[in-house]
Amino acid sequence: MTRMARAKTTYDVFSAIGEPKRRELIEKLIINEMTVNELVEATDWPQPVVSKHLRVLKEVRLVSERKQGRYRFYQVKSEELRPIQEWIHQFEKYWGGTLDQLDHYLTEIQTKQNSNNRSKKLWVKLKSNLQ
Amino acid sequence: MGEIKVEPSVITREFDAPRQLVFDAWTQVKHLNNWMFPMPGCTCEYVNAEIKDGGTSLHKITMQNGHEMWLFTQYEEVNSPEKLVFLQYMSNENGDILPSPHMPNWPKHMLATLLFEEISENKTKITFYWEPRNPTPEEVEAFESTRADHGKGWGAGMEQLHNYLSSL
Repeated sequence: MTRMARAKTTYDVFSAIGEPKRRELIEKLIINEMTVNELVEATDWPQPVVSKHLRVLKEVRLVSERKQGRYRFYQVKSEELRPIQEWIHQFEKYWGGTLDQLDHYLTEIQTKQNSNNRSKKLWVKLKSNLQ
Repeated sequence: MGEIKVEPSVITREFDAPRQLVFDAWTQVKHLNNWMFPMPGCTCEYVNAEIKDGGTSLHKITMQNGHEMWLFTQYEEVNSPEKLVFLQYMSNENGDILPSPHMPNWPKHMLATLLFEEISENKTKITFYWEPRNPTPEEVEAFESTRADHGKGWGAGMEQLHNYLSSL
């Protein structure tokens, strides 16, 4: 067997989802388990293109295959998406969300402090009125 | 030897609170446990924390679905109330840094630098820089691939994916 003099590309989850077409396939397969033909129809891409990208997604185990009769159904494997979940949370998502929480917290404790001060003042006023 | 130059990712944000309080929220466990998580519904627990120059901390974030995430933090600079520099790692419950089997090229060392700026007595600006430290070319590539401006095509589908993943 002859091979092209080109280093075999090895994929990880990152490089697999770095390609926009593969992200589109993931997005489709999240909603439904689908066959290659259904994907061809849904994307309007030539079948070899769909198959090529599907192969990469299978290789990094983002997508699993289920055979039923003469059909093969493809599906996103949620377990394997965990790393992406963490990845998605990197910086903008992760820290942006975390800073939102900080904002809520700061507002909350300062509001509490103000109302504590207010009730303290009220209490002092009340006491002095009573005396 | 040429070090690879990476443009850090940056977030700036203003808070209606005095600078000292905002800084303390980042460095005191009694505050941190109340907010250091990425979305509502999570909880956070610092199991140990020595937040000072050269110190470390270990905290657990529990997602609404019960999924747990441990983060180990190594503090390089804790300069109250202006500056905070730390390296943060995914870890296990013992604080052992985890390799990322599915992300072999994700930068090993992610450095966070936070500047706290007093805008007024009750307004503080945080500038948050996030960058890999001494990355390999492969790590730079992985880091660059996660930037928002590289995320074209992740529009509405991205949100959906995000929502889906959050529900796992």
